[in-house]
Amino acid sequence: SSEDEAPEEVTFGAAREAAEAERKLEGEAAQRHRELLKEKRRRRQELFIEQKRRKLLPEAVLQELSAAPPAGYQPQPLLCSSTAQCVCCSVTTLQGFTSLYLTRPKGNYTALRLKDQSVTALHQQLAKDFINTQLYGPDSNRAQANEFFSLANKKDPVKKAAVQFVDKSWG
Amino acid sequence: MGEFEVHRVRFFGLVPAGVRCLAYQPRGGRLALARTDGAVEVYNFAANYFQEKVIPGHEARSVEALCWVTGDRLFGAGLGGEISEYDLSRLCVACSVDGGGGPIWSMAANSSGTQLAIGCEDGSVKLFQVVPGGIQFERNLDRRKGRILCLSWHPSDTHIAAGSIDILRVFDVRSGQTVQRVMVNYHVHKVKRECIVWSIAFLSSGTVVTSDSFGRVQFWDWERGTLLESHTVSTSSVLSLAVSEEEDSIVVGTSTGATYQFQLLPVKMGSLEKRWVRTKPFQHHTHDVRAVAHSSTALISGGLDAQLVIRPLMEKMQKKGYEAALRKFTFPHRRLVSCARKARLLLFQFSQHLELWRLGSTDETGKDGEVLPLCRMPEHLVQLKSKGPEHIYCSCVSPCGSWLAYSTASRFHLYRVRYEGDSISVKKVPKVPKLLLPAYQLQFSADSDHLFVASARGSVHVLQLLEPGGCKHLHSYRPTAECPEAVYLLAVSSDGHWLAAASGDWAIHIYNLKCFKHHCTVPTYDCAVTALAIHPITNNLVIAYSDQQLFEFSIPEKQYTAWSRTVQNQGLHKVWLERDSPITHITFNPKNPSHILLHDIYMFCVLDKSLPLPDNSALLMNQSTLKQLPETARQRQLHAFKICKKFQPLLFADLLDENCLVMVERPIMDFKTQLPLPIQQKKFGT
Repeated sequence: SSEDEAPEEVTFGAAREAAEAERKLEGEAAQRHRELLKEKRRRRQELFIEQKRRKLLPEAVLQELSAAPPAGYQPQPLLCSSTAQCVCCSVTTLQGFTSLYLTRPKGNYTALRLKDQSVTALHQQLAKDFINTQLYGPDSNRAQANEFFSLANKKDPVKKAAVQFVDKSWG
Repeated sequence: MGEFEVHRVRFFGLVPAGVRCLAYQPRGGRLALARTDGAVEVYNFAANYFQEKVIPGHEARSVEALCWVTGDRLFGAGLGGEISEYDLSRLCVACSVDGGGGPIWSMAANSSGTQLAIGCEDGSVKLFQVVPGGIQFERNLDRRKGRILCLSWHPSDTHIAAGSIDILRVFDVRSGQTVQRVMVNYHVHKVKRECIVWSIAFLSSGTVVTSDSFGRVQFWDWERGTLLESHTVSTSSVLSLAVSEEEDSIVVGTSTGATYQFQLLPVKMGSLEKRWVRTKPFQHHTHDVRAVAHSSTALISGGLDAQLVIRPLMEKMQKKGYEAALRKFTFPHRRLVSCARKARLLLFQFSQHLELWRLGSTDETGKDGEVLPLCRMPEHLVQLKSKGPEHIYCSCVSPCGSWLAYSTASRFHLYRVRYEGDSISVKKVPKVPKLLLPAYQLQFSADSDHLFVASARGSVHVLQLLEPGGCKHLHSYRPTAECPEAVYLLAVSSDGHWLAAASGDWAIHIYNLKCFKHHCTVPTYDCAVTALAIHPITNNLVIAYSDQQLFEFSIPEKQYTAWSRTVQNQGLHKVWLERDSPITHITFNPKNPSHILLHDIYMFCVLDKSLPLPDNSALLMNQSTLKQLPETARQRQLHAFKICKKFQPLLFADLLDENCLVMVERPIMDFKTQLPLPIQQKKFGT
């Protein structure tokens, strides 16, 4: 019977060629598979971009909106109220001085008269700045408005697309 | 219910201010709350968590800490450096004392409520004695560098623990010396940030609990200065913590909006050794939780998303019922919108300005549920900015739209509004009579001839409005008995004969406007009044209470009506009584005298007195089922309560004419962009 027989004698060269051919075939198959996946992914990406573009308002309206200044809307990303006046911004002009003083190069400082500012307000402002930096400063990992809304859309029972504001200054 | 054309208004741009601090008073079951705009509110838990008092804010006021002291007095301190006492009867700041240490970050009362300790910007802890009429400076404790961000008294009042930046300190109260100083940041590797101790609590066992900006809740042995336990609950700061009275439960609030409960539990069943374990996580808020409080049965948290959340603890509840329900409050429990019915105008009250809008109109009609196109858009007619830093207490527009009035803590303004074609002119009425300010509620009469001003000590002033633009004081009504509280709700009958006034002691007085006399008092009820209105034809006073009870009182007969007695005998439907928000406005339909229209934040209801009342077995919100039934079956199932939940959150609803309604909604997501930024949260796969 065929089980008693010795295995087929194959030369090393023939075996190597056969293995190489097989590897090549497999390599080509894998390559084709990869190309197919890439193609699929590229098409999906393009589809998403196209969908997003379709959802946006027409080009003309977008340009008009981004050119116009935000009317009355003031996003307040800071904890500090926008009415708190920055103490350092008041400058009293010194009149009657010669041009000797006015020729000094503009440095990164402001002069203020403490009599105009109450010390309480200054302290209050420093305290508010401290809280602001701690809670909303560079390390604070805060989300912008569009991220917040996008996440809300994704967590909704009915999932919706991410949010993109037309006016980028809204966040 | 009838067919109504509904003006659905979403242009009231109200942005509620975030909750900054909470103080629970166990004895009275009241919660004091301070917001980021300086407003202070008091919630009465026994009266179904009703917001019974509101002290409007101030531009320069920032409240960082609130304390209840002996005698049910409320004190607040903030970055302005002052300690203020709030007069809860007159709803204003009673007196202020300068702390003397710069901005005040924290304040705590000792266990007997006789002393206040404040933690200041300059690193000092100061002690004040609570005396009748105010507080008195006692002494300074040992001062070191570093602002004191949080304070806590030991229950025996012998020591005070204070948290600062990178450090926690313990003071001996009697000597004033620092007896322990612990560095809290050396366990964090490779991080250059400083560790801010946001809040602290001192337990009677000598354990000091701190929460810091690295998201950790740590337990320290203050005498040895060692760390007992450390729990990292979050990647962002843990901003607030509160301990229960029995000291077996702690609630903490984080920057991400999550709150956690820690409980002291035995290590094994029956073992005596106990350990703190983080038990329940909650995510009720979307923004930072800067204030938490712990009552005997509930965890209370307030976030910068303007929500107050009260979470009853199941293990403390005797029975499973509505008392165990989660309560969330975002909007105030009072009206911020007034409507000029005839002129179709709406007046919106903001904290520092008023907006007058004219409603749009449509020519078309349609079927149930259809959206009709507008032929004229709603118009923003006038924006009136309040002068000065004080926030507005109340405002009102007359039914004809020609008069506008508002009041702040120290000013009262009345304006005459003229409409000439398309243009509007607003002219201030000079020489307004001097009244004791502030006014807590304003109401114009139906014919726009008189203005009623609710004032302190239960009194109501009547101003007569004169053309072309003036007013004079006509009369002042006072209740028969001495009343320390202010009037906060008014109702006037359309024939100008009767005036009803509800004051802070929950008494309702009725005055006869033709004879200038006190007419009668409505029998006392042990709950707060949330809305009042007088029927235009029958002159019945309809009253809504904070426990959701409804009463109808006949003013001419000085007694409850037969219908009201029927309602009380039968009892209101269980679902009606288990509503979360109070009725803030009641109005009537002159063409249908048996109808009462009322609303709360989540529903609008037309109550038809001619129909039978539902019993507990019937479905209360049956409008959708009724629509699908044939006419004969519908007649059998009709009951008095016709409820619509389509418009939510509803800030105001009114009937403009016989088939036209206006509903002012404020969807929560609409104002979320204008709140301070929340922490970034990731969701897998997005």
